Amino acid sequence: GAEAPAAAEAPGDAKAPGAARAPEPSAGPEPYLDIGELRSLACDALLQESFYQKKKRPFLYRDQDHTPGPFLTQLVSTLAASLSGRNPLLAVSSLDLNPEVNYYWHHGEEVVAHGHRKGRVDPVRFQIDDNPHLQIRVPKQLPEVVHLESDLGDIPVIDHKPSKLPLFKKQYENKVFIGSKVADPCCYGHTQFHLLPDRLKRERFIKERLEDQIEVVYRSNGIASLFAWTAAQAMYQGFWNEADVTRPFVSQAVVTDGKYFAFFCYQLNTLALTAETIKNNPRKNICWGTDSKPLYDVVEDGNVKGFNDEILLQLVRFLLNRPKEL
Amino acid sequence: VFPGVRQAQWLTKTKVVEGLPAAVQGILDNPALGLQELEDRAKHVVSHARLWDTTEVTPRREKYCPVLFENLIHICRLMSGKYPSLSKRMLARNCRIAATWERESILLQVRGLSGILMNSMTPIPPVASKEEILATKEHVLETFYPIAPTIDLQEVNVYQELNDTGFRDGYPYSHPHTLFFLESANVRTDRFRPEQLRAKMLMFAFGNALAKARALHGNDPKVLEQPIVVQSVGTDGQLFQFMVFQLNTTDLVSNDSIKNLVWIDSDQNLYERAQCVPEVKKRVVTKPAGISGFQPDTFKKFLALYLHGTV
Repeated sequence: GAEAPAAAEAPGDAKAPGAARAPEPSAGPEPYLDIGELRSLACDALLQESFYQKKKRPFLYRDQDHTPGPFLTQLVSTLAASLSGRNPLLAVSSLDLNPEVNYYWHHGEEVVAHGHRKGRVDPVRFQIDDNPHLQIRVPKQLPEVVHLESDLGDIPVIDHKPSKLPLFKKQYENKVFIGSKVADPCCYGHTQFHLLPDRLKRERFIKERLEDQIEVVYRSNGIASLFAWTAAQAMYQGFWNEADVTRPFVSQAVVTDGKYFAFFCYQLNTLALTAETIKNNPRKNICWGTDSKPLYDVVEDGNVKGFNDEILLQLVRFLLNRPKEL
Repeated sequence: VFPGVRQAQWLTKTKVVEGLPAAVQGILDNPALGLQELEDRAKHVVSHARLWDTTEVTPRREKYCPVLFENLIHICRLMSGKYPSLSKRMLARNCRIAATWERESILLQVRGLSGILMNSMTPIPPVASKEEILATKEHVLETFYPIAPTIDLQEVNVYQELNDTGFRDGYPYSHPHTLFFLESANVRTDRFRPEQLRAKMLMFAFGNALAKARALHGNDPKVLEQPIVVQSVGTDGQLFQFMVFQLNTTDLVSNDSIKNLVWIDSDQNLYERAQCVPEVKKRVVTKPAGISGFQPDTFKKFLALYLHGTV
């Protein structure tokens, strides 16, 4: 997933209500969903990666590659395949493993401090380079959650340069990429899945008595990754900061460490973030998200204990999301 | 250096049959499966892997070979929306296999990472009839006198005669279904040549089948009542090798009696050329950008092997 700074609030005009409700995807009423079947698929995936397959010890500080990563890949691929009968959008989807997502934009202004251009006013440049663990791309857009012009609250203001925030310290190449080139018919994003690295695991935060920062990690990952993805999708469709989007771009994300899952839904309403275009721009981008909750308690002797159906259902609802006409 | 298929078949006491078995051919010819509609998706998927999946101009083989495989498997997996019993399959990466056997007083072993393995809850039914199996008694294995059949094999001191499927007991997806081998090294000399790849596929399919047989029936050598079928697919991102292996017997010491069987469909191109940037000579486009020479039959065979045993 993207770099997750300890102090959240990535720039990009995103409003993230704290412990918000998870949005209801606009899917019609479904025939009876066999939750038992889906639960057993999820448990089978978990047991294979953590118990049944004989593996060597994990590499140092790369615990997430040993079990959580493979489990997430198995879980998503089997669930998406199994649900493709109900969601025709999934049946024509593209599944990317470890794709690249990039977005470059200008926001705000600064005065050049040194050099031969000293004193001139430049836009502040931002670049996000993201590597989700998995993502699903589809040929049709997800429906809007709220109206394009909705205003759900105020945005906090940060006066520091982006290089002071961990997310934007290094900028190498300025790229815009959704995971595939423009010629690909699957040009809209459906759902991304992010895996938290070992150095951001919960135990470390608890040991250093920073429990209140745990949710920040999930939230910042969700906001930054989804903003980059939706904005890049909008650029692929020909919109930019002087030709703002005429329809909202909606994508979803799941951020997890293998056991705890947090769900996010993002609606991009505007790309106009530069100093000139933001002046009369009332639109705001919106991100809804949940707190992280565990999918299960523990895996013991080939059994999954304390499996939480609610989390699985939320994941299923995310995967079943599709435009109303399908 | 890995032995060629001729050597591998002596080492595994196997008779080679050209082409795919009738059971798989039946799936290919079945119109109810809608394999035609999937052709377009397969073409898109090849374009994605070879042309679109990078911020640079062209993806390298190390990237496009695994991506092509994942995309093809994704299409196959999506069939479980139509055939729910297909969801009783699980893909395992980096799994380790160990199998030991004796051939004419030489102790042989297959060990190590056997690529990507797809496991199934139900075994593939035998693809050869009882008559075909009995007919292998008459088959004489090719020998290489005066070259020893173990030429070019690594000679090691074996302290543990190990037979291990790579999974613990109680694993619900206990039947090895298909092995996938991806030759994705960028440099050509780091990749296995087709003949060597086929030999590797045969050895590991045999190893997985043997380890499963030992787990089911113990270590005594015998002719199997229920032969075990394991399939293999190998590719370098463009050329595909398909293999269906049937283990008929674990009595491997002597050269007589029932032999194992393998069907091999080799050197199937999925497409002729993938051109990222059009080739222009003297201001005329000689090779347009895109995928040319797409062979839908190769994709259909990949899918048929995936569906085999369930559909």
